[in-house]
Amino acid sequence: MTTPILEIKNLQKRFLWGKGWFQEPSYVHAVNGVNLTVNEGETLGIVGESGCGKSTLGRCILRLVEPTEGEIRFEGSDIRTFSKAGMHGARRNMQMVFQNPFDTLNPKLTIQHILTEPLIAHHIPIQQRQALVEETIEIVGLGKRHLARYAHEFSGGQRQRIGIARALMLRPKLIIADEPVSALDVSIQSQILNLLQDLQEQFSLTYLFISHDLSVVEHIADRVAVMYLGEVIELAKKEDLFRKPMHPYAQSLLSAVPVSDPDEKRERIILTGDLPSPSNPPTGCKFHQRCWACMDVCKKEVPALKEVEGRMVACHLY
Amino acid sequence: MSELNKTIPVRSIWRKERSLPRFELLNKIMQKRKAKYSFFMMLGIILIGIIGPWIAPHDPTKTYYEAFMQGPSAEFWLGTDAIGRDILSRLLYGTRVTLTVAVLASAMTFVAGTLIGVTSAYLGGIFDNVMMRIMDVLLALPGIVLALAIVAALGPSQENAMIAIGIASIPGFAILVRGAALTIKGSGYVEASRSIGSSNWWIIINQLIPNISNILIVYTTMFIGSAILGTSALGFIGLGAQPPTPEWGTMLSEGKDYLREAWWLATFPGLAITIVVFTVYMLGDALRDIFDPKS
Repeated sequence: MTTPILEIKNLQKRFLWGKGWFQEPSYVHAVNGVNLTVNEGETLGIVGESGCGKSTLGRCILRLVEPTEGEIRFEGSDIRTFSKAGMHGARRNMQMVFQNPFDTLNPKLTIQHILTEPLIAHHIPIQQRQALVEETIEIVGLGKRHLARYAHEFSGGQRQRIGIARALMLRPKLIIADEPVSALDVSIQSQILNLLQDLQEQFSLTYLFISHDLSVVEHIADRVAVMYLGEVIELAKKEDLFRKPMHPYAQSLLSAVPVSDPDEKRERIILTGDLPSPSNPPTGCKFHQRCWACMDVCKKEVPALKEVEGRMVACHLY
Repeated sequence: MSELNKTIPVRSIWRKERSLPRFELLNKIMQKRKAKYSFFMMLGIILIGIIGPWIAPHDPTKTYYEAFMQGPSAEFWLGTDAIGRDILSRLLYGTRVTLTVAVLASAMTFVAGTLIGVTSAYLGGIFDNVMMRIMDVLLALPGIVLALAIVAALGPSQENAMIAIGIASIPGFAILVRGAALTIKGSGYVEASRSIGSSNWWIIINQLIPNISNILIVYTTMFIGSAILGTSALGFIGLGAQPPTPEWGTMLSEGKDYLREAWWLATFPGLAITIVVFTVYMLGDALRDIFDPKS
């Protein structure tokens, strides 16, 4: 039995790009009609290359950037209609872990101060704050002695633990992890990933895990959504996707993952051309200019995300 | 073992690790020669401002009838003015007047300028646009002209000169602060704070302002220098502190009529202004070097 905790319907985000006095305003479609459902307790991975809108999607869900259109239903209610106070309440249940641990901790504040911030923002009684801070810093693998220090005294991995502790302070239900390990060394990456998995069990968390690193997503995700130019083009169970990707873009993406077995021969699909400009996307299927299986219909019609063999694919091939 | 102690300066490692950011500034000032000397000179000037009235040899407003326009002598070290008042005593009393006006005017600029600059940068949008256009309009008038207009409207007095100088330097300060705050606004920890659900005011006070405090310190120091010049300028044209208050600009203006006969009348107040402004600017410059070694 899976209950959806987060449902995203036709989410769009356009950024105003050029505007002059005598000029038509032009927009960048960062997120273009995304439909996703995240079930309680699962980890949904979102992969895609740079600039495909995966981070913007994460920010839209927390309304750090205001979506242009669409619905974001968190536990059944559309948070886009929430007032300022309502959104403040909703933030208690959804927190974010950021990509760059060197930039997201205020250099002028002690860790104690940084971790207390969510408690102040959500009016947790003063008597409980200290205990919560001490408990949480130990949960993420640091100690009470670290609380009096400043962020610059920690290594990248430790800082990311502090970032996770901060997201965990309010015991949220959903954590949006925006490339939480991509700024870290590989050896530290696995520690942080294991920590995230332990926390998921302990606090029955739901993760929306945004990454460009396929091996990381393979390690942690239950289901994976592949994004291309602001759209979800394939959404499948992790095992299905990694065993047999269906969308040509997903196939090329997965063929780029290095294989540890030197005898295993795999065809490497190399794409030609660059990611098209999101301000002037191609007609039809957005991938058709780089696709090796391109048909005439691809140039004209936008493929809908439809169910194929127990997964969702947006391609005219199926 | 002794070899080890020589190569690793244990104490400096310890200090680096333990020194809190708020003591870092004092340490750094002591490390640089320019910063150190200007800092101590500034301390000395402030000390004179505080104890001036007690160390002054004479009453600054008392007329010595036997000594009109006397040159520097053993009794009147820096001479007396046209109506027989001791210049040294007037200078010592004047230090307090000038410093008070300059510091209070800068405090005014600091509070209003920081508030406008930071809220403008953080809130953005229409508020930012309107605020910055107002600042542009004020900035289009030269500061001293704006101050003149304000004093003319309020009437000449020491308090009004202070208010005028404070208001006249707000636009420049606000624009500088806004620029600095914009870079902090774009940083990850401000976004993290927003995602946590902290209120805008909390973010401005706890995230923005501490991170631009360096810039605020440097700019405020620089603005104190301009405020001293401004106070003296207003005093010189008779719109600052009113006689018989000993004020440097007023003294300079009284002395200018007797430059030929009594050089000491204008020279010493002029020197006093020069030394103080020079010290303040040098301190500001040194602080900027400390905070931003790149430029």
